[in-house]
Amino acid sequence: MKRESSDGNRIALVIGGCRGIGRAISQRLAEDGFDIAATARQAGPDSEELARQVAAAGRKFTLLAFDVRDREAVRRELERVFGDGGAPEVAVYNAGIARDNLMAFMSPREWDEVIETNVNGFYNTIQPLVFGMLAKKRGRIVAVSSASGQTGQAGQVNYSASKAALIGAVKALAREVGRKGVLVNAVAPGFIHTEMTREIPEERVLPLIPLNRAGEAAEVAGAVSFLCGPDSSYIHGQVIAVNGGLVI
Amino acid sequence: MTREEIIAEINSIFVEQFELDPAELTAEKKIFDDLGLDSLDIVDLMIGLQRKFGIPLRQNEEIRKIVTLGDVYEFFVKLAKERPEFAANLKK
Repeated sequence: MKRESSDGNRIALVIGGCRGIGRAISQRLAEDGFDIAATARQAGPDSEELARQVAAAGRKFTLLAFDVRDREAVRRELERVFGDGGAPEVAVYNAGIARDNLMAFMSPREWDEVIETNVNGFYNTIQPLVFGMLAKKRGRIVAVSSASGQTGQAGQVNYSASKAALIGAVKALAREVGRKGVLVNAVAPGFIHTEMTREIPEERVLPLIPLNRAGEAAEVAGAVSFLCGPDSSYIHGQVIAVNGGLVI
Repeated sequence: MTREEIIAEINSIFVEQFELDPAELTAEKKIFDDLGLDSLDIVDLMIGLQRKFGIPLRQNEEIRKIVTLGDVYEFFVKLAKERPEFAANLKK
């Protein structure tokens, strides 16, 4: 039951940790002193760049390559890195995709891909780790939800449903495992500059945001860092919004 | 390892993990209702049994059917008969 790397460092697993908000989370947790195990669908320029950044922070980097929808591949990779029944100290579920469309026109595929990745992926990656965290009586789980999951967003019925599902999962899991010292929380980013939001016209979104600007991935990573660190030791089952006031 | 030795090992886990009085540990006791464990305590029990007996139990479906302490005894007595490597672990 490995939780620490061979030189005794603490490990943070960031699922969907090589791009966008996940990349910023991986970087930040490396700066916080965690060795980083990040997942991506495959190795590539993103994971190589992250590997360099983690090394620059003086931490170890391990890439786990799988599609979170592939339950068997996930199980195999988690077992390779953490051992059977093992778990990292921190697990951040950040894998997520959007396939926006009005419900009236939404294809089965657009619905399924989002639910399978954003919701089933949470089960596939987090469930195998829970036993190990309970055994250690220590662990942090953070799910990256969304403002869309808190309020609902037109054109994102699938995405909003998936991100609301994560909030429900986090709250229920928090009730299950809190007694064993495993802390479970969510962050809910609003409009953040990433590849996913590049196509959204900023001038139409800004009037909705009291801080009058888009957020940066590093600002979401800051909240995740807090939830994985010593200062949040009594914060449990909560959803921390990082949205410039978009949802109040 | 004899049946009595297996039972003694299991009882020692219940005493260590849940601070139960050894006199309470009889086969007919229900582990939830009588011994006061809750569903999350089963994790600690499985960890203790895994460490003691050196076999992974997390994915074992049979373990969900356990109701009484006697069921725990029989589970491991059966395992010792079926799996020679398990019997070897017990001798360590």
